This record gives sequence, structure tokens and C-alpha cells, in this order.
Amino acid sequence: MEILHTFGLETKLFLFQLINFLIIVGILTKFLYKPIKKMLDERKGKIEQSLRDAEEAKIALDSAGEERKKILNQAKKDADDLNASAKVSMQKFKEERINEAKVSAQNIEEEARQKAAVEFENMNKQIGKMSVDISQKIIAKIFSDLFSEEDKQKLLARALDKIEKGGYEKVAN
Amino acid sequence: MQIAPNVLFSVAGFPVTNTVVTTVITDIILILIVLLVRKAVSLKPGTFQNLIETVIDYFYDLTNETAGSKVSFIYPWVVSFFLFIVISNLIAQFPGFESIRFHAAGAGEEGAPLFRAATSDLNTTLALAVSSVVITNFLGIRHIGIKSYISKFISFKMFPIFLFVGILEFANELTKFISFSFRLLGNIFAGESMLAQMYHLFPIGVPLPFIALEFMVAVIQALVFAMLTMAFMHIMTDKPH
Repeated sequence: MEILHTFGLETKLFLFQLINFLIIVGILTKFLYKPIKKMLDERKGKIEQSLRDAEEAKIALDSAGEERKKILNQAKKDADDLNASAKVSMQKFKEERINEAKVSAQNIEEEARQKAAVEFENMNKQIGKMSVDISQKIIAKIFSDLFSEEDKQKLLARALDKIEKGGYEKVAN
Repeated sequence: MQIAPNVLFSVAGFPVTNTVVTTVITDIILILIVLLVRKAVSLKPGTFQNLIETVIDYFYDLTNETAGSKVSFIYPWVVSFFLFIVISNLIAQFPGFESIRFHAAGAGEEGAPLFRAATSDLNTTLALAVSSVVITNFLGIRHIGIKSYISKFISFKMFPIFLFVGILEFANELTKFISFSFRLLGNIFAGESMLAQMYHLFPIGVPLPFIALEFMVAVIQALVFAMLTMAFMHIMTDKPH
């Protein structure tokens, strides 16, 4: 007991310290540890959720990137196809227009040729007529002095017949 | 410097010693911490909240690593022991803490120091030791059941070996009161005495390294007490093999 007195051990003080500490533990547990732990868990949860969200966003981003790449490739392919198709169409159109132009040119040429032939025929006929007239006038002039009226008529008829036949053939040849 | 605390005055027969005054200051600091943290607690912590969170989280993780699923009921005790002891130890390290004198009856002309580290009083350290050992055994009974608890001390397996081991275990439990209380008391009281002597011999400069050393001792002793409590609680709440 003497040693306890030396250390100052006293029941009242010991009980005060014991009860004081237990009260402090109660206060700290209820008002400090629990709210802090709850908040730490909440924060941890939020951080984990954020990390999960970030991971999901990364996956979505990667997926979107791949999708974008796919779409771009598809668009490029479509554009190439369209380009090729346009080239083919253009070539076809060009060929069609050329063929149409050729046909049109041939038609025009044919038409012109036919017109020229008709013109030539007409001209030939006119020339023939003119030749006959001139020949009539020349012969009439030449033979008016040499032959009688009756001979003239006979000669004229025979000459005309010859001229008609021979002159036409000559002109035609 | 006497080992027993100085009685400053009495209130209704209760002797108010200088260690009781420091205990009350420690309580006020702890309650202020509670109030400040509760007032400013948020998901984005400030400096102060960060400090408290770090301490609580450190002990929670440490207890979780050691005791696993029993962490929820062990860690509040471990943190409480640490915070109470470390604050009590640290406030006593401020220079001039013991210089404020109080004219108590029977303290002579110089009077008695108004403040003294609460943990340099056997009443405090024994109260902490009793809390630790009693709560440890209480948690043991609650967690593993009274039968398993008793079988830790009284077992007739491989008679008489386990009976002897049980007696040693029981003696070990009793010695915890002494080891817990006197380890803390010895370290803190020795530190205070050494600093007091230093202040007497070399009042300027020389005590500074010793103050730094005592700061370390203050934290280490709080940590030792808390860690030992955690280890004993973990062992006591384990079923005997």
C-alpha cells in the first residue's frame, strides 16, 4: 500500500480517469469515427464508380473510334464505288452521245447526199433542156438558110431525136 | 519531481490534481476536434479533415490487415487509445507547460505545476491499461463465446500441458495491467523529469534536442499502446485451437 501511495494511486482519481476515457471513446466513436468512416466509404464508392465510369467511357470511346473508322472506310468505299460508277456512266453517256452524233452526222450526210443527188438531177434536166433549146436555136439558125422548110422540119426532128438521146447520154456519162 | 501528481484543490471531496487538469484539457481538445470535423466534414476534405481522416484511415487499414473481419469493433478502441495518449503526451511537451505554478496546500513556496502530462500519472495509465485489458476480454467473450473464452485458460487437453499453458495465459493477462500502465508511465515520467533537469541545468538551447526526442517518445508510446491493444484484441477474439 505504501508503494501505491508513493505513485499517487487513488481510487477516486483512477475511477475518474477510467470513466473519462470510456466517455471519450463513446463520443469519438459516435461523433467522429462513424461519420468519417461513412464519408470515407462514400468517397471510396464514388471514386470506384468514377473509375468504372471512366473505364466504360474509354471502352465506349474506343468503340466509337472503331465505329468511326468503320464508317469512314464504308464512306470511302461508297465514294470509290460511286466514283467508279460515275466514270462508267460518264463513259457510257459519252459513247452514247458520240454514237448519237455519228448517227446524226450520217443522217445529215445522207440527207445532204440525197439533196445533192436531187439537185444534180434537176440541174441535169435543166442543162438538158437548155442544151435542147440552144441546139434548137443554133440548128434553126444554121439550117434556116440551107434547107427548105420541109427539110428543116425533117432534119430538125431527126437531129433533135439524136441530140436528145446522144446529148443526154453524154451529159449523164 | 515527485512521481505522484500534485493535488491542486478539492471539489466535494474529489482531489483535483494537475494531471486531472491536463486530462480535462485533452478531453476539450478531442471534443473540439469532433466539433470541427463534424462542422466541416465533406467529400472534398480540408487540411484538418485530411489529417484526421489520415489517422483514422491508417488505423482502420492496419486493423483490417491484422484482424480482418473484426476490424469494425476493434479499430474505434485502437484509434481512441492513440488519440487520447498522443494528445495527452504532446501537449505536455510544449516549453513552459510545467512552469505555470499553482499555490496548492503543502506544495511549498514554489507551489505545484498547474499542468502535468496526464500519462505521467499512474491513475491515468492504469485506467487506460484496465480499459484495454477488460475491453479486450469482453470482446473475446462476446465474439467467441464464454465456453471458448474459458477454454483459453482452462483446458484439459494433453493434461497437464494445456492446463499449465492456460495458467500462464491467465498470468499473462494479469501482467498486462502492469506492463501497459508502467511502460507508458515510465516513458513519459522519465521524459518529463529529464526535461525538467535540463531546463534547470541549461535553460537555453540545450533542451531543444531533448524536446524533439520527447516528441518522438510521445508519438511512439501512443502508437505502442494502440498497436498492442489491437494485437491483444485480435488474439483474444480468435477461437482457441
